[in-house]
Amino acid sequence: MSAWYDAHLILVQATFISFLVALSIQFPMRMGVFSFAGVANYALGAYTAAIVVVRSDEIVSPVVSVGAGVLVAVVVSLILALIVRRLRGLYLAMATISVSLIVQVIAFNGGELTGGASGMFGVISDLTIGSVIVVCVVAAGILTWTERGTLGRRIDAVRDDPELAVSMGINVNRYRLVAFVGSGVFGSLAGGLEVLLRSTISPVNVGFSLVVTALTIIIVGGYRSWVGAAIGAVIVTWLPFYLQAMERYQQVIYGLFVVVAAIFVPGGLLGIADQARRRLVRRQLEHEDQEAAAEQDAGGAAVVDAVGASRKEEAR
Amino acid sequence: MTQHTVPPTVAEPASALVLDARDVAIHFGGVKAVDGVTMEIAEGKIFGLLGPNGSGKSTILAGITRLVPLKSGSLTFDGRPYDDVPTFKLARWGMARTFQTVRLLGDLTVEQNILLGADVGRSSGVSRRAAATERKECVADVIDRTGLAKFVKWTPSELSYGVQRRVEIARAIVMQPRLLLLDEPVAGMTKSEKLEIAALLSDLRAQGLTQLLVEHDVQMMVDTCDHLYAMNFGKLIGEGVPADVVKTPAVQEAYMGKGWRADA
Repeated sequence: MSAWYDAHLILVQATFISFLVALSIQFPMRMGVFSFAGVANYALGAYTAAIVVVRSDEIVSPVVSVGAGVLVAVVVSLILALIVRRLRGLYLAMATISVSLIVQVIAFNGGELTGGASGMFGVISDLTIGSVIVVCVVAAGILTWTERGTLGRRIDAVRDDPELAVSMGINVNRYRLVAFVGSGVFGSLAGGLEVLLRSTISPVNVGFSLVVTALTIIIVGGYRSWVGAAIGAVIVTWLPFYLQAMERYQQVIYGLFVVVAAIFVPGGLLGIADQARRRLVRRQLEHEDQEAAAEQDAGGAAVVDAVGASRKEEAR
Repeated sequence: MTQHTVPPTVAEPASALVLDARDVAIHFGGVKAVDGVTMEIAEGKIFGLLGPNGSGKSTILAGITRLVPLKSGSLTFDGRPYDDVPTFKLARWGMARTFQTVRLLGDLTVEQNILLGADVGRSSGVSRRAAATERKECVADVIDRTGLAKFVKWTPSELSYGVQRRVEIARAIVMQPRLLLLDEPVAGMTKSEKLEIAALLSDLRAQGLTQLLVEHDVQMMVDTCDHLYAMNFGKLIGEGVPADVVKTPAVQEAYMGKGWRADA
């Protein structure tokens, strides 16, 4: 176990970080907000944490450095939410991708502060993978709560039919704001934690490819729940590793897998599971329906018999 | 732009208006979809709004619920002006509506869709637990009255159109509204389904629920409504006792053609 764990530590770390990155896009998507600002938030979280650690003379607790990153990302997310509040769908997607690219450009040209094209090194901390897992579990717990009961229904309404949602007394704009803030928190957590684990960050890590990775995770896993992001994070992180045996076909097979998932499994692997569960429930309901109908028939027959018997008696 | 001569703040006891829409105009560019319509919806009655396709019925409903902005005019709900109040607040004040097309959430069961209406946060001053119990009872009651008990675990796509429409109505009723706006609730239903819905609406009126019914079915309007408004080209072309309104030449010509008689 330990030997295996040591050999695969990087992949284990990458799985949990990818999960958080995916959440930064899946969370707003669940509220119908098609925003890729999660990648910008990742960059803000990573660079802020790195700057705090590198600039400080003393050892900085991860809580402080990552916390600073989260704070910066949340403030930026709130401002962004106000600026793009009238944008929807593709337009919002484009605007937020642009924001991510702007942040990358700033990282490239930040001079001494961001380390320019070569990025930042020596971001030393005592953060362990255990803490990262705790963060992920807490995030999953909070998200589970948002996916159930009243709140879950309201979020479904906000996503599927905003006009209906406002007619049901739901303040859709506030949910959209929460979507941006949530994206800020998850994205910056991913960035901050990753830079502390890897001790380095550079502008290439925060570019468009991160958008693609996050989107792939959500498409493969499913966008309806954090569970989809978790499934997707595992697959997207580990599949290339196991495909290494395929050598030069690795990229082709990986690409095919993603294409097939996007075309044939629109709800992701989670969607397949949900559909199967629904089919079972439906079969059960139909069964109950038939039983009820049969019972009614039997009851009706009994009544007819009784009426018939009384008529016979009357005839006598 | 408001040019009403009636002082807006006078609280006459006789006019217990739930909704007062005065001189409402809604324009889309050059199109005058609604042009100076006044409607006074009094408490405890069913009001009807009749008119051919494109006459502005749904648009004025969108205006009343603040989904589209008014060009001019004023809106008052329970004595409170609400010209700049967002839609979601109106729902909490007690304005519920159904839509012209079925708008149920496909991934939720019938029960969950109805619960969405029950979730509307209306402060009633009772404890959370008491409110939850009350809500549960209300949901069970509405499900029972709309005849949806056997469908609660199904999802909308697994059900017939008529049942889906009933779920829509149930979701609005369960909000326990002050005013219920129904946008063509029986469109596409069978005769017997229509009668069921009409009976349900009358039942709700008996309990004091004020309703505004937008509908195409003239017979149902005459049978169900206490007061009828008729619209065409964005303007009112008649109002009053339903059976009389549908007999006026303007309404006959605009809506039914000349051969129709209300008492036929």
